[in-house]
Amino acid sequence: MLMPRRVAHRKHHRGRMKGMSKGGSALAFGQYGIQALEPCWLTARQIEAARIAMTRHIKRGGKVWINVFPDKPVTKKPAETRMGSGKGNPEFWVAVVKPGRVLFELSFPDPKQAHEALEKAVQKLPIKARIITREEAI
Amino acid sequence: MSTTLNLKSGRANGTGASRRLRRDEQIPGVLYGQGMAPVSVTVDRRDLRVALSGAAGVNTILNLEVDGSSYPAVIKELQRHPVRRTVSHVDFLRINLDEELTIAVPVRLVGEAKAVLAEGGLVDPSQDTIDIVTTPANMPSEITIDISGMHPGQVIRLSQIALPAGTRALGDPDLPIVTAIAGSRAETSAAAAPAAEGAPAAEAPKTEG
Repeated sequence: MLMPRRVAHRKHHRGRMKGMSKGGSALAFGQYGIQALEPCWLTARQIEAARIAMTRHIKRGGKVWINVFPDKPVTKKPAETRMGSGKGNPEFWVAVVKPGRVLFELSFPDPKQAHEALEKAVQKLPIKARIITREEAI
Repeated sequence: MSTTLNLKSGRANGTGASRRLRRDEQIPGVLYGQGMAPVSVTVDRRDLRVALSGAAGVNTILNLEVDGSSYPAVIKELQRHPVRRTVSHVDFLRINLDEELTIAVPVRLVGEAKAVLAEGGLVDPSQDTIDIVTTPANMPSEITIDISGMHPGQVIRLSQIALPAGTRALGDPDLPIVTAIAGSRAETSAAAAPAAEGAPAAEAPKTEG
């Protein structure tokens, strides 16, 4: 699963997910993509599940890009622990996603199969997301 | 051939005023270039869509009518809403019809790379657009690249592309424009952080400092 090799600080503040994505809201590499329509913390497991769903469907050929990286550690206190005694231990990694962010991109020769693969990947995500293509209206 | 577009000047600046304009199907914008002072303008969304729906798309030469004056211009930048993808702001660049200008022309791939597809490969356009220097009279609406003769592993570079007369490409001549990827299991790349690939899953990351 995706995670940083080295970090400056082991534990982060939670932060906020206000507003829209500032950048990364258009396709940069592939012909199709998945765009987030809601904010969320996307865990490394969810990213991996979506990637596997997509690559298994397209089988051979094609290229997948993952545009988000889980660089934020999330801590948890152990079960049945009394409050206090400091912040819990880092348990997993998340990518902070805001609406508009393109999460995955895909290049594949068959548009129908590409859409099916992306639909399968969307089902693995904890948010509403849509499939986008290169054409844009004014 | 240019398309006439009517703009209104003297709009109120700022977030709230711009949002009110967008609610009324007007797009805030700015007109500048050729030494003129920037003018804040508004354009009707429908008019802009009609003006840019020709063959040249966003590279259409526009004849802007502002307060009784007429300016030849092109679109320098379109800002879009991150989710709705509607245009939220437009930059018009005034041009001189006799001078060269730099524009990004879309690339269109024609033909079917049968040799690549037969091996389960993929023709991947590395660039959507090519920056070219041209005069408004010679401005192409698109650059077509024939990919029918491509074979797996082949790369078409900027220097190999035949450009229309009166145009020249900007950028590195070795820049890959189209790549024929050889057939294999779907390739994945973490675009945001390629260095993170192959990181041990269970190991905790080292802390710096």
